[in-house]
Formats: sequence, structure tokens, C-alpha cells
Amino acid sequence: MTDDDPGPLIRLYGLTGGRARPSGEAFDLVAIVTTIRTPFELPGLNPEHHAMLAICRRPTPVADVAAQLGLPLNITRVLLGDLRREGLVNIDPPQPPDQTIDERTYRDVLHGIRRL
Amino acid sequence: MEFAGFDRPRPSGGTLTATALKILIAGGFGVGKTTMVGTISEIRPLHTEELLSDRGVGVDDLSGVETKVATTVALDFGRITIREDLWLYLFGTPGQDRFWFMWDELALGALGAVVLADTRRLQDCFPAVDYFEQLKLPFVVAVNCFDGARRHDPAKVRRAVGLDEGTPVVLCDARNRASVKDVLTTLVTHAVSRR
Repeated sequence: MTDDDPGPLIRLYGLTGGRARPSGEAFDLVAIVTTIRTPFELPGLNPEHHAMLAICRRPTPVADVAAQLGLPLNITRVLLGDLRREGLVNIDPPQPPDQTIDERTYRDVLHGIRRL
Repeated sequence: MEFAGFDRPRPSGGTLTATALKILIAGGFGVGKTTMVGTISEIRPLHTEELLSDRGVGVDDLSGVETKVATTVALDFGRITIREDLWLYLFGTPGQDRFWFMWDELALGALGAVVLADTRRLQDCFPAVDYFEQLKLPFVVAVNCFDGARRHDPAKVRRAVGLDEGTPVVLCDARNRASVKDVLTTLVTHAVSRR
């Protein structure tokens, strides 16, 4: 809990029309978002939607979209849910670590941490 | 311009090259979770206030109150890029008990967790330890040595927390990058060896 001014948060919810949860199937904070098409014009898309479509031309985790735009995760997910509903992005659920971490990935992760 | 892969067909359930791994940083209030994420993250850690909707209501026991209750919870996360298509995300878990439902989401598919402990308030880390044990999620206990001077004995911590022999206990300084790197490599090695 925080005593901070809730104003900014409430203003941010203006972006989502007050929605706190995305439409459709739930997706993880590290699900990978990929733009599949960028419309020239689509009514109802705001600048944040367009910024997300630009970022996700490269497959990008949900949390990273939030970080790049400086938006709370909940807001980011609602807006990404809109883009999915319009068929503009794919949101791929993360694979379980059991399936993704092979010997090479394990070594890469250790190496990646150590070289920081 | 980096449009590589933009036009690549991506059938759902097909091959997915980009991967993001999650590691949770848990522990009691004020134990250094935010500091640890900030020490190691390559991006400025995002400290977001998340607004909870009706999902939080049952937990908050606000019966009779409208479902859209503006409860906020702070969430920290940071990132480490391993390869172009592989990232490690660190999520600091909310400390308050009534946000357990958020832990469920954060823990789903996580590689493992770091439980930060402060020997002056060791009991604060018990809920996190219980949670990860129950979930069978690999974790390490990292004793944050704030003072730097006081000596801590990992074996004593292990006994006090009631950990099995397989769970690593390490001493660390959440402000120190080399120390946090050691904690994370210990966790990754432990998580992989457990499989």
C-alpha cells in the first residue's frame, strides 16, 4: 500500500477506459508479444497502442513493453489485449523452463550473469 | 532498422525462438528485494504501482465493497539480457500476505526464487520458504548482511529456517553486484541440478 497520490494511476486508467484486465485469455508477464501487422489507420487505437506495435516488431516480453513505455504492467496488458483482439499481435505463452533450458541455454545463462 | 523475423510466419504453438525466464526475489518487508533487483538489472528497475481489481477483493476481505477497489501494490522488476533472444527477468514479490494471489502468477513457470533473509528478523522469510517448498519451486536462501560486520553462520540459518540439505544458503550483500551475481548463479545451478 502507498500513500502516494493516486492521481497518475487513475489518469493512466483513462488509457484503458477504466479496464483493469485484458480481454480474452490471460497471458503471463513474460509472454512474448510479436506484431503481425501494423494498420495504417484503425479507429480506437491510441498512441500507446501504436508504440507497442512498433516495439513488438521484434518479439518482446510483456514486462519489457511495460518498461520501455514506462507503463504499469496491468495497463500494458489491457492495451496488448486490445491489439490481440484486433489480430495485430501474437502473444505466445512462455515455455516451461524444463523445456527451454537445455545444456547450452544453462551455460549461456551462467555466462550472461557472470559477465555483467 | 531491425525487422528481422517480422514477416516470419508464427503459427501458434509453433517454434518460438524468443524466451524470457523468470526469477523471483522474495522475502520480508524491507529486507532488500528492491535493492537486489536494482543492483543487477541492466534497465532502471521498474517500480510500478499495480491497481488491483476484483481479484484482490476476497483476499482483502472487503465484503460489500464495490468490486473495483483502487488498491495498489508495488512491483519491482529488472532485466538481464543473456542473448539476443533470451532474457532473465527478476521480479520482486510483494511483501504483504494479502497479495499471495500475485505470487501465484509470478511463480508460474519461474525458473526459481531467491528468498532474502535478515538474521535479525529471520521469521519474516518463513512464509516465502513455505510457499516455494509447497510449490516445489527451486530456491536459495540468501542472507543479506546489511551490517557487513556481523558474522552469520549459514548452517545456523539453515537449522533455524528448517531447510533440507539440498537447499543452498548463501551470504550476500544486496548492494554488491558481484555478490548478487553469485546468488543468481547459485540459484540457476541449483534449479538445473534439481531437474
